[in-house]
Amino acid sequence: MDTSDNVVERRSVSRRAFVAGAASVGVAAWARRGAAQPKATITYWNGLTGADGKVMDELIDRFTRETGIRIEQQRLPWADLYAKLQVAVPAGEGPDLALIHTVEVPHFASDGVLEAIDDATTAAKGFRGEDYLPATWQGGTFQGKRYSLPLDVPQHIMYLNVKVMKDAGLVGADGRPRVPGSRDELVTMAKRITKADTFGFAIGTVNPGRYTWGFHNLLWQNGANIYAADLKRAGVTDPAALEVAEFWEALPNQHKVAPPANTNCRDAFIAGRLGMWIAGSWNFSGLREAKVDFVAVPVPRLFKQAVVWAMPHQYSFPKPKGAADRARRDAAWAHVRWMTDNVAEWTLKAGQVSASRKAHADPRITGDPVLRALLAQAPNWQVGQPTPKWVAAENITRPVIEAIYTGQKPAKAAMEDLARQINALPD
Amino acid sequence: MSRQTRVAYAFLAPGLLLFAVYRLYPLLEGLRLSFTNARLGRASEQWIGFANYTRLLEDDRFHVSLWNTAFYTVASTLPILAVPLALALALNRGRLRTLLRSVFFFPFTLSVVTVGLAWLWLLDPVVGPFNYYLRRLGVPARSWLADPQTAMWTIILTTVWWVTGYYLVIYLAGLQDIPRDLYEAAALDGASGWRSFWAITLPLLRPVLLFVVVTHVIGSFQLFGQVFVLTGGGPGDATRTVVQHLYEAAFQNFFQFGAASAMAWVLFAVILAFSVLQFRLLRGHTEY
Repeated sequence: MDTSDNVVERRSVSRRAFVAGAASVGVAAWARRGAAQPKATITYWNGLTGADGKVMDELIDRFTRETGIRIEQQRLPWADLYAKLQVAVPAGEGPDLALIHTVEVPHFASDGVLEAIDDATTAAKGFRGEDYLPATWQGGTFQGKRYSLPLDVPQHIMYLNVKVMKDAGLVGADGRPRVPGSRDELVTMAKRITKADTFGFAIGTVNPGRYTWGFHNLLWQNGANIYAADLKRAGVTDPAALEVAEFWEALPNQHKVAPPANTNCRDAFIAGRLGMWIAGSWNFSGLREAKVDFVAVPVPRLFKQAVVWAMPHQYSFPKPKGAADRARRDAAWAHVRWMTDNVAEWTLKAGQVSASRKAHADPRITGDPVLRALLAQAPNWQVGQPTPKWVAAENITRPVIEAIYTGQKPAKAAMEDLARQINALPD
Repeated sequence: MSRQTRVAYAFLAPGLLLFAVYRLYPLLEGLRLSFTNARLGRASEQWIGFANYTRLLEDDRFHVSLWNTAFYTVASTLPILAVPLALALALNRGRLRTLLRSVFFFPFTLSVVTVGLAWLWLLDPVVGPFNYYLRRLGVPARSWLADPQTAMWTIILTTVWWVTGYYLVIYLAGLQDIPRDLYEAAALDGASGWRSFWAITLPLLRPVLLFVVVTHVIGSFQLFGQVFVLTGGGPGDATRTVVQHLYEAAFQNFFQFGAASAMAWVLFAVILAFSVLQFRLLRGHTEY
């Protein structure tokens, strides 16, 4: 029912004012509609199957509460994840976001599984190379193009079992275990520890004989690598690589200081059956939970240079079959940005040092002795070579180095065999 | 075609369709791929004739895998036949038979990964209980799965432990089918238990034995899970099997689907040949 005032009012509205008013009402209604719409839900695949997976769940819950963006995670062992990505992405069934290891970037990029990220987008989202440690930032590129952004840096570190070292008389006046300064010193100390079912030194988590990442670490310390500098031919028959292979052979056979090939080194360390242990940084939270008295120190220089094996996790955007859904892609970017901004939480809870430098000065991180040791070796990080064949070559390497470790094959013959197999990999 | 036949085909159609889509098509597609250089991620594939097959002739690791698989098949067949049979004979009657059957069948209800991980821990050379008790007995500890002399035998042992319950049930069903009066007649004739076993039990179990041998041999040629979990094919390549080699070519080493398909077809041919051979050797009827 109209009142007279209303009539007066209506009469007084000009045509221009009416159009302006209608437009503003329309804009407001559209804005309300936008606000009422639920935020995007994205799919995110990762291989964080250990304790770090639970930490990721917690952080994702927080991210969802803060942003309204929901994330459906699919978590499976890394090897299965990579096979699934390779099959699912070309079929248009890939996720919006995937966490992968640096060494996977070249072959996924080469096979068209990952979407290239242009510099403008990277900059617009606030990611800058100078904020990251070089090995991690560089690891996200292949043939000059960026395909991923680093999150954190799983890496090697040396764990020293305080009780075992003390029993062997290998502690200083302050009660801290001595740290080997060279290969010879390592072997001498390991021999003092080794007796019956206790071993002096191991490299690798559950199967030291076939631990390629440990073998790579030693190769890199000696200036050798799987591929020669041209990335075309195998480099494993170089004298420096042979020297490493001979050391690998000598550890359990000649020096007799390393446990058998299929020992679970983590359990042996926890049980006080292993003194010095080079293994992944991801083990330290488990050691703390098991209440093992241990000290973590940077990986010592056993060959020419104090290189430390590292394999950063990288955020990547698998290529959709058609054009990317803008809202979902933005939501995926929002998550990467959020995790990068909150990476200190990830480091503290999951025990993985961040790739970005920002969190490195956080007093909670620098106050943790293990995280401090991990950060101390950052200048020595090295990652796998940027060739699509890297992962396949790594798989081939596994049984070969185990054959050396178990004394089935002499180091030289085994490395020649390995070179032949690597060179035979298809293009 | 009669109405009855048409109805029969109508009922069979869903099953046949699923068989064609999920069995026949992948089989034939695999055959086609084996003649190409197909690799997941490669934009196009080329017809390369028998190159994948001829490459297998030069692939030392494939030969080792084939040899290991054959060794496992032959070496495991006797224990797989004998151990469950002995248990079945013991458990064919008796007061605790139902309980004991369940106990022996229990391991088979576990997945291969569970079985593998359990044995991996039991046999760990440093912290495993098996070696711990050996040391307590004054026997030197051994790295059973990392020693090329013992690795395959250890896998056989764990497999026998795992599948004995399954074959036990099959043998028991076979034993229940043997008429009791045959044993009574044999006893009246003064036959010993051993004589009855050779003259009655074993011949009448022949169809069951054939089933056990054929399924075991086929399963053995497809051996993968136990090896993958327990040794990863090691030490070196000492326990590497054909299926593991195939799996790595297809899914780990560069997604070489063409080469892996050729391996699969060679394996198929070997299994087919062995199966035909076994049927020829073991078929025949025993009439009483």
